Amino acid sequence: MQITEHPVLDKKFNEEVIFYFNNQSLKAKKGQTVAAALMANSIRKLGASRKLNKARGVFCANGRCTSCFVTINGLEHVLSCTTLVEEGMRVSSNESDPDVRGESNGN
Amino acid sequence: METDILVIGGGPAGMSAAITADRAGARVILVDESFSLGGQLRQQTQHFAPLPGSEEKVRGTALGNDLIKKLEASKVKILKKHIMIGSYRNENIGVTDGEKTFAIQSQKNIIAPGAAEKAKIFPGWTIPGVMTAGAAQILINRERVLPGKNAVMLGSNDYSLEVARQLKACGVTIKAIVEDKEQMISSDMELLHDMKNVPVYLNSTIESATGKEELNKVVVKTPAGLYEMEADLICIANGFDPIIEPFEIMGCNLAYHKELGGWLPEYNVYFQTSNPSCYIAGNAAGITTIGPVLLTGEIAAIGALEELGFMEQEEAEAQRKELWKELAEIEKRENEKTFRARSELIEGFHQKIGMAFPEEFNMVNGGAHNG
Ligand SMILES: Cc1cc2nc3c(=O)[nH]c(=O)nc-3n(C[C@H](O)[C@H](O)[C@H](O)COP(=O)(O)OP(=O)(O)OC[C@H]3O[C@@H](n4cnc5c(N)ncnc54)[C@H](O)[C@@H]3O)c2cc1C
Ligand code: FES
Repeated sequence: MQITEHPVLDKKFNEEVIFYFNNQSLKAKKGQTVAAALMANSIRKLGASRKLNKARGVFCANGRCTSCFVTINGLEHVLSCTTLVEEGMRVSSNESDPDVRGESNGN
Repeated sequence: METDILVIGGGPAGMSAAITADRAGARVILVDESFSLGGQLRQQTQHFAPLPGSEEKVRGTALGNDLIKKLEASKVKILKKHIMIGSYRNENIGVTDGEKTFAIQSQKNIIAPGAAEKAKIFPGWTIPGVMTAGAAQILINRERVLPGKNAVMLGSNDYSLEVARQLKACGVTIKAIVEDKEQMISSDMELLHDMKNVPVYLNSTIESATGKEELNKVVVKTPAGLYEMEADLICIANGFDPIIEPFEIMGCNLAYHKELGGWLPEYNVYFQTSNPSCYIAGNAAGITTIGPVLLTGEIAAIGALEELGFMEQEEAEAQRKELWKELAEIEKRENEKTFRARSELIEGFHQKIGMAFPEEFNMVNGGAHNG
């Protein structure tokens, strides 16, 4: 959920953006990270662990733990907590290891 | 790219170092991996005790904005969204913006990457909804989103209670504070007062956190048995570790000091590490409070400025003496054990490399050992 009235801080975000998560269209504020934009829409599961297939989400919100990986505009393994959401951005959850040896990576 | 002084990290320590270096006429580049400056001050809405040279309490976020303004008005070249990822054989520093990687050639580096929160492991700690206390604080204050509605706070130090208070002010219900020690760690009357209606479980741990895709149930193990509660948020406040990767990259020697947060680089009274081109500042040099974080940035900058000839020896010594005095005063008052550990680290390093102590340090440090 978005916090519209913060108890001590002035309003920070004005502009709205529309982006997509697993092809679903969602609204967020310009200036928020992808992780926060998803949380604003009550989406907290951002992917699944590769071995036991357990749900993963934001843990540190600070770019240090790598728990919040998603795919953004086709680029796999992007930290959603340190990337700002953009108009039209296509985000999908991280369900497995990226195919680093795939053709899209040139080998 | 080429410069006199390269600062890694745009938190309070790095900004304070960069502003000091710029004022003395050095060319400075400051690199930060984030899309905005301010480091961890960006989510700290609490007030700090008066800072060196001031008598007023100041909000963390306001202090951050103030430093950013000063920095942006200076000649420092600021590179946001740039990460230090390595070094070249000639010790140039490798930086990337995610697309291209390039070298920065500098005469001295001041490395101030800050600290990271420690995790705490219990069954279910990886479920969405379990996060560090700092993550919850970032989400409400920086990002303006609610991370959950019903929270369990793990840990009872000042920091955990401060975050619990901020969550509460945003409308989150604090269901419980869980502490494995036999009493609350915080002794801050104001914070304790704010939490007076929250159930506190002492000598207790989290037995399990469960939920299918997201957290919805927490079981707490207490001396009186197991308590089950509905909660969609667990905040872990388990302390901080100095961030050491950039120092490892630069081949700096490390030492272990529990009171300073664990493993961290060795450094001398000038805040210079075992790699003479690298100075250290901020929480990376030992977990402390905001006053010392800012002062270490200044002391490190003065060391680099003196070595590069931007400041006369006499002037540098005089300034360092004042800054060390302030640092010692604040840290002894707010965190005596931290100051002792810091002195120990510095003395150990001086002994190891056979480096004499400047007079200014003996003066401020004397009390820590005789007392
Ligand atoms: C989530 C969190 C919450 C905190 N909350 C509090 C609090 O409420 N109260 C308190 O007293 N302390 C808190 N702290 C401790 C914090 O370390 C200090 O408050 C203070 O911000 C330390 O200042 P600093 O300049 O040393 O580090 P920081 O403020 O952390 O700044 C370091 C900067 O370096 C950048 N950086 C790191 N590595 C690299 C790299 N390789 N390349 C480029 N840039 C890099 C980071 O992006 C960051 O901006 C918190 C820490 C964290 C992690
Ligand atoms: S949540 Fe830890 S890196 Fe994003």
